[in-house]
Amino acid sequence: MNRTKWLWGLAAAVGLLLIAAPALLESYPYIMHIAIVAFFYAILASSWSLLAGYAGQFSFGHMAFMAIGAYTAGIFGKYVRLTTAPTGVCSEIPMGNHWLVLVNFFGDNCLELGKANMPVGTLIYRLPALPGIILGIIMGGIFGLLVGVLVLRLRRTYLALFTIGFSEIVRVTFNAEIDITNGPNGLELAPLFPNGVHLFGFYFNSANKIPPYYVMLMLFLVSMAVMYWLSISRFGLFIRSIREDEEAAAALGVHIVRYKVLVFVVTSMIAAAAGAVEAHYIGVITPNILLILQMSLVISMAVIGGLESLVGAAIGAIIIEFALEFLRTSFTIGPIVVDMTTWRLVFFGLLLMLTLRFWTNGLIYPIIQRLTRSGVAEETVAMRQAAVEGAVEGQG
Amino acid sequence: MEHASYFFLALLWIVGWGTVGAVVTPRIYGRKDLDVSQASLAGAATGAAGGPFALLPLWYLTPELTWKWVAIPSIVIVIIFAGSFAAADPNNLCVTNSGFVATQLVNGLVIGTIYGLMALGLTLIFSILGVVSFAHGEFYMLGGMAVFYLTDVWFPGLHPLVGVLGAAVLTFVIGVIFERLFLRAMNTGQVERPGEYAILVTFGLGFFLQYLTLALVGANPKKVPRFFEYPTISLPSADNPTLLKVTAGTIKMFNLISIPSPRFTAALIALILLVLLMWFLYYTWIGKALRAVSQDRQAAAVTGINPDTMNTLAFGLGTMLAGLSGASLVQVFSWVPWVGIPASARSFVIIVLGGMGSLPGAFIGGLIVGLVEAAGAGCVPDPQRAASYIPAYGMLILTLVLLLKPTGLFGREL
Repeated sequence: MNRTKWLWGLAAAVGLLLIAAPALLESYPYIMHIAIVAFFYAILASSWSLLAGYAGQFSFGHMAFMAIGAYTAGIFGKYVRLTTAPTGVCSEIPMGNHWLVLVNFFGDNCLELGKANMPVGTLIYRLPALPGIILGIIMGGIFGLLVGVLVLRLRRTYLALFTIGFSEIVRVTFNAEIDITNGPNGLELAPLFPNGVHLFGFYFNSANKIPPYYVMLMLFLVSMAVMYWLSISRFGLFIRSIREDEEAAAALGVHIVRYKVLVFVVTSMIAAAAGAVEAHYIGVITPNILLILQMSLVISMAVIGGLESLVGAAIGAIIIEFALEFLRTSFTIGPIVVDMTTWRLVFFGLLLMLTLRFWTNGLIYPIIQRLTRSGVAEETVAMRQAAVEGAVEGQG
Repeated sequence: MEHASYFFLALLWIVGWGTVGAVVTPRIYGRKDLDVSQASLAGAATGAAGGPFALLPLWYLTPELTWKWVAIPSIVIVIIFAGSFAAADPNNLCVTNSGFVATQLVNGLVIGTIYGLMALGLTLIFSILGVVSFAHGEFYMLGGMAVFYLTDVWFPGLHPLVGVLGAAVLTFVIGVIFERLFLRAMNTGQVERPGEYAILVTFGLGFFLQYLTLALVGANPKKVPRFFEYPTISLPSADNPTLLKVTAGTIKMFNLISIPSPRFTAALIALILLVLLMWFLYYTWIGKALRAVSQDRQAAAVTGINPDTMNTLAFGLGTMLAGLSGASLVQVFSWVPWVGIPASARSFVIIVLGGMGSLPGAFIGGLIVGLVEAAGAGCVPDPQRAASYIPAYGMLILTLVLLLKPTGLFGREL
């Protein structure tokens, strides 16, 4: 049987299993929750591996783009309302028999003031989550473009330092602008489906984990498909050539500026999308998601999965997220209490260092490589080389 | 702020014309086939200082861009900035009270000395290994923790200076072990892409050390009493201490400037260490060998210096300097396992500002960052918001330097 077909079959089986999983796990909301968060991290880790592993842009600011997406969605949800009558006080745009109302950023809540002008029975809605998420993705893309242009000249260490700085400035701003973002208390967001969903004759209320599971899974599969397609197209070839040698790539006609900026824009948009959906799912977003710890986790996931493999990074992220959750239980050895909530992170730090040092390709990627036999060409070359050397030795 | 608009207009002027200068000037110099290496920096400074009135002559005449084109506009920018601030907020403590200003400045310099010492370690590592250690802050944290455990927990009554020594030994040993196990592989070709490997593996080390410490000692803040109790001294006399008044807690000079005594002790330790380090680097064989390796690896190897040993030594020394600055500051701040994160961010700012790999640059950069932080913490109205923005000031400097002059103040040309 053809190996590629077999592999596609395996991929399809895994996909079906992921789609069918909620039916089996419906009574375990905790596992559903971990799965959703795992998909979220998988999107981040694989997009970071596209940025760092494929394009060689070691950015520590990936979580900042995620947070920009999440906060954009949150601020949109906080300040934009749909009403059935004009308020006369706020800035508002008529849309048929509805009005899109922009609640003031600062000062008085004009919606409260406007209630006097509105007839009795006027309805005030929040907008659904989707426009906010799309706005978040666009915002992530804009910031990705900005950062991508600013870091064009910076390489390696300088890029890492710059992106840490960027991420820190974003975190501090979200922390300090309490009027808009609620600061460290966190910005609350409406659930993905505030009124629940009717799907295939079933009704799921807004707290049910099944709709967000499918939303996150779809986002995961779509972003994986987009990134996979990018990585096997000319785009992927170009960004890898930039990673290996910028001057040589430029000399061969690769438009360095365009592709470097583009890879920042694409990965930032994917991260922002993940952030916006996750923020709506969790229901609250705080500046703490921008702590170094979170970025370290994403990096560990990508490195342990395989820095130069999108699928490897994604699988690594899913496995690590589940492992981190199941390693939460603390235990005691004699008089010593082992607080696993901290020790599990110690182990992951150690695992990260050891993986980097001894398994450059990560732990998951070699397995994938073995399954797909993508190393076949190298093996053949090595065998021929050995045969030639053997022949030479035989002659000598 | 009473007239906030003055200040924000000045800020808008500086940022707007600075950006115009930074973007347009290199193009004009490039079109005339002149040297563009300093054009964006000089253009930004000139634009921010003089706006169109300075930029148009600059673009028309295109003089050779010496350091004057950066230094003079920078002074003008500082004057515009300070002047508009004073006009915007005439009742601010920074405008009305010269004693407060002097105290803030001196305290900024005092704390800047220690920042400089820590950044010196990072720049030493960079100049010899070509690696920025993203775990630098964690060694700073370990240094402080070691002093706390040595003098307060394990051997109560131990002299604090012995604790500092112990911290130095501990951080040196960890640094050396890490270098041998993980960074040595970069030179032997065992890892692909050594530059990226170094970034990630030191990042991983920081993560590991921070959570290991958290797991071992817990999250409760640790506090170490001040190292020395100064005797009470008054000059010229006890009832008239116009020159100097030393009490156990503070040192007051000229009835104007007061420095908390733990900070003064820490700065004193830092200065002594600095002198020792300079003596070591410039007057001993090993120090000279280190500097030789930083200048030219191959040439140094030819003269009989083992560059690998020097790598190990430099990394150990660098982490030891971070540990020592942590050890001397543990009496000033309360100590938690994540105290190293802002400290390492600050060191990044300092070495980029001073120029990567430049020893004097690191020290002067430390003083500048100390001053900026003191001014930022003391002068900005709305203290709560000001306090939350403190980490951002440094990062703003870092971003500007990386964009306008990536070689920093004293860096070698890239």
